[in-house]
Amino acid sequence: MSTSPRTPRRTRTLCLAALLAALTVDLSAQGRGRRGQRGDAPPPAPAPAAKAAESEPSKPKHYTAIVGGDVYLGTGQRVTGATVLIADDKIEAIGQGLTLPEGTTVLDAKGKIVSPGFVAVVGNGMGAGRSAPFADGVNPFDPEIKQGLAAGITAFLAGSVGSSSSPSGSNAVVKLAWGDAKGMVLKEDAVLGIAAELSLGDRDKLAESVKKAQEYLKAVEDFPAQKAKDPNAKEPAVPPGTDKILAVLRGQSVLWISLGGGGFGMFGGGRGGGGGRADDLDAIRQGLDTARLFGRGVVLQKPVSAWLLPDEIAATGSMVFLSPRDRRPADPQDPDRTGSNLASAAILARAGVPVAVTCPVGMFGGAGVGTGGILGQDLNTPQVDAAFAVRGGMDNRKALRTITLDAAKMLGVERRIGSLEPGKDADVLILDGDPLHYATFVTTALVNGKVVYEKANEPLFRHITR
Amino acid sequence: MNRFPSFLAAVLAAATLTAQEPPAAPAPPATPATPAAPEPAPFEIWHPRRPATEADYQVAKWGPRDLPSPGYAFRAARVLPITQPPIDDGIVVTRNGRIEAIGAAKDVPVPAGYELVDCGDAMLVPGFVELHCHIASESFDLNDTAHPTNPEFRTLDLIGMEHEQIRAARAGGISTALYIPGSGSNMGGFGTLTKTWGRSPEEALVRFPGSLKIAQAGNPERFSGDLGTDMMGMSEGIRMTLLDGRRYWQQHEAWQAGKGDQPKFDPTLELLRGLFRQEYPVSVHTQIYQVVLQTLQELRQELGLWTVIVHGTFDGYRLSEDMRVAGVPVAGGPRQYFFDGKTGRIEGLLGNWSHGGLHGWREPVLGLGRDGVGVNTDSPVVPQEQLPLQAAMGVRLGWPHEWALRGLTINAARFVGIDHRVGSLEVGKDADLAVWSGDPIDPRSYVSVMVINGTICYRRDPARPLF
Repeated sequence: MSTSPRTPRRTRTLCLAALLAALTVDLSAQGRGRRGQRGDAPPPAPAPAAKAAESEPSKPKHYTAIVGGDVYLGTGQRVTGATVLIADDKIEAIGQGLTLPEGTTVLDAKGKIVSPGFVAVVGNGMGAGRSAPFADGVNPFDPEIKQGLAAGITAFLAGSVGSSSSPSGSNAVVKLAWGDAKGMVLKEDAVLGIAAELSLGDRDKLAESVKKAQEYLKAVEDFPAQKAKDPNAKEPAVPPGTDKILAVLRGQSVLWISLGGGGFGMFGGGRGGGGGRADDLDAIRQGLDTARLFGRGVVLQKPVSAWLLPDEIAATGSMVFLSPRDRRPADPQDPDRTGSNLASAAILARAGVPVAVTCPVGMFGGAGVGTGGILGQDLNTPQVDAAFAVRGGMDNRKALRTITLDAAKMLGVERRIGSLEPGKDADVLILDGDPLHYATFVTTALVNGKVVYEKANEPLFRHITR
Repeated sequence: MNRFPSFLAAVLAAATLTAQEPPAAPAPPATPATPAAPEPAPFEIWHPRRPATEADYQVAKWGPRDLPSPGYAFRAARVLPITQPPIDDGIVVTRNGRIEAIGAAKDVPVPAGYELVDCGDAMLVPGFVELHCHIASESFDLNDTAHPTNPEFRTLDLIGMEHEQIRAARAGGISTALYIPGSGSNMGGFGTLTKTWGRSPEEALVRFPGSLKIAQAGNPERFSGDLGTDMMGMSEGIRMTLLDGRRYWQQHEAWQAGKGDQPKFDPTLELLRGLFRQEYPVSVHTQIYQVVLQTLQELRQELGLWTVIVHGTFDGYRLSEDMRVAGVPVAGGPRQYFFDGKTGRIEGLLGNWSHGGLHGWREPVLGLGRDGVGVNTDSPVVPQEQLPLQAAMGVRLGWPHEWALRGLTINAARFVGIDHRVGSLEVGKDADLAVWSGDPIDPRSYVSVMVINGTICYRRDPARPLF
């Protein structure tokens, strides 16, 4: 896991350590998540870990085991009656009949469902700051964090995503690590956005910058060999104004295509959609051109007509997020090739396009939790948006990916979160029912291996019993 | 501490004395909550003057029935008649707009010449009834405000059957809607009860007026101007208009009883006369505790109107017992929850309205039970087709699933007095039914076939479902 050039060196080291941790199940090195031990925290919590480079081998790991639940891995698979073993802030192992190390804290999940924490591709509030660097602005005691956790959300994209003629944006993947400021920001500058449709001049300028950036990357790659031949060889210089493009080319930031707008016509025909030209095939195709220019898949934001181009989107390695129930009427003059389709998510997923879902564009909805919205229209029930993907024909079990692993992919953090796999962050939910059922509640949520929400111990939903 | 509520209860009790006596307590349910507590009488809507049959209506106009439709026998793994227990492997026979037979497939033969529609493992459910929607018109007719109160206005002439929201409503299993003006003024006008499909708006009509829309507070402030931007001023405007209507109604009643002259015909007051004859209810947008209290005191008690609370949100549920005593039901939504800052709890509106309970400053209060609570979308605030999702959110926060099914169907039909036509699958009722792939409250389920007035008006295309 690498970071943008702006990120301080210390953070870079830590992220490298996290990547190592993700690759090796032996977790002697620790990521960022567990460093936030506070002085006033209760004693049984794990001891504070040092930075990776200084980690003391004598510090014993703290083990937590979620035992006996039906475990949905988030990849589409499920293991019944399994144990999820967590060492400090990472998942150590998942399986039936695991032997638990001495001193393991056991969370009973018999008769319950265990799922990866939900990932929201867009969000606001929930303790995130308003501007970069987000790590400096988080509020780990924002009450909305508890509400987000009650909704099953353990990570989301906070901040802004650009929509101009060159990649821009200021955002971060923020975790709902209640009480742990240092465990909250998973990745700064995770996403850069660009408009789908560019003027010819802007398009040429972008192509030129991408070319310069690619040449620079090639020169960096060739530099060690050159240096060996000629000790006086000059290190290649970053071409001015290409830092964001380099972030995309290096895979540090995911490029999102803005199809414009975001408004919705409440009293006009339909509701929702991405606004702007999201229902225009040309706009989507131009977005895919940008993907080809960069040689990397992009993320199409709420493309109303994407269901007409599943194979073209798949061929570029691109991804899509949408709200399946957003409705935009077809043009009566061309009804078969215009308008929205509830089956979009299913059609795209069948073509191999990763699909994530988010809440609709609404009058009182919007991508947040909070207490001012309309239930079922905002982020308080992410499973409802996945449920509408199922209504449109997506396989019920695969639909969980639309709010877990595939959502994490669109934020470029799928190696850290989004599924339950050894080495990944221990962001885990214990649910009282089917993850996609509208009445299912989170009974326990863990972020970075720590229990951060328990329904029975919080006022929000404690009184609701069935 | 509870001096005020006792006073209120006394007033309400006095007011109900003039109404019909509450029926005798029913047999106790299978599992009484506590053996000591006597089971309260079931919820009854208060409308003692309501005409007994459609023929007794003088002001309201009822839509046509018995319109021609083919003979169908819909057979499905499960039939939910709502007012009767579910039927496994059931059959519903329909023709000429009505249900002719319903029962187990082994008991109900398919009449000769009728088409058997095999719905496989699907579920047959009555069409849902939406009590608070602002769609059906192609134009923006929501909040015309000529005066502080606008009883001259009506939605009847605006209905278009091919409006996008109406088409989507059919795909969402909704067959009847009360299409009302907005809450921009204190009295937006008269709403229309319409089916969501018909060969013409006249054919689709269920009843006009469906209700008089009153917005007591919580939105009309913006248009009230200096005529009253707060509760007292707004109440005054509503009361004065309704008192005019009451005078006109009383003069009419006197004339019909052979005392006095026939009052000069006034088209606006004529519709208010129907309101006081209790031919139709007043549907009140009234949200917070304070305003629900006003609705009970002013509209229900002082003016004696058949009162239905729609768009019920926020903490109005704290008055569930008073509403029960007064016979005032509620369609809740679209917000579906109330964050109580004093307790930090997220309260489910429909669950609390149904169950009553401990609501802060009072003794435990009774709820409206199984029969007094419905649900609405306020479409297009929530798209019309998402009415069942509103019910789902109610169930999530504590509304019993079975009650939610009633809230979507028979309860809503009763609240506005059309339950003799719609709201359940019964012989003689309108053939309005949806073929659901599963639990209709689960957003993963969908409608594959929609039937309104016995005609199949929507078939789902799996490659491009409307909803």
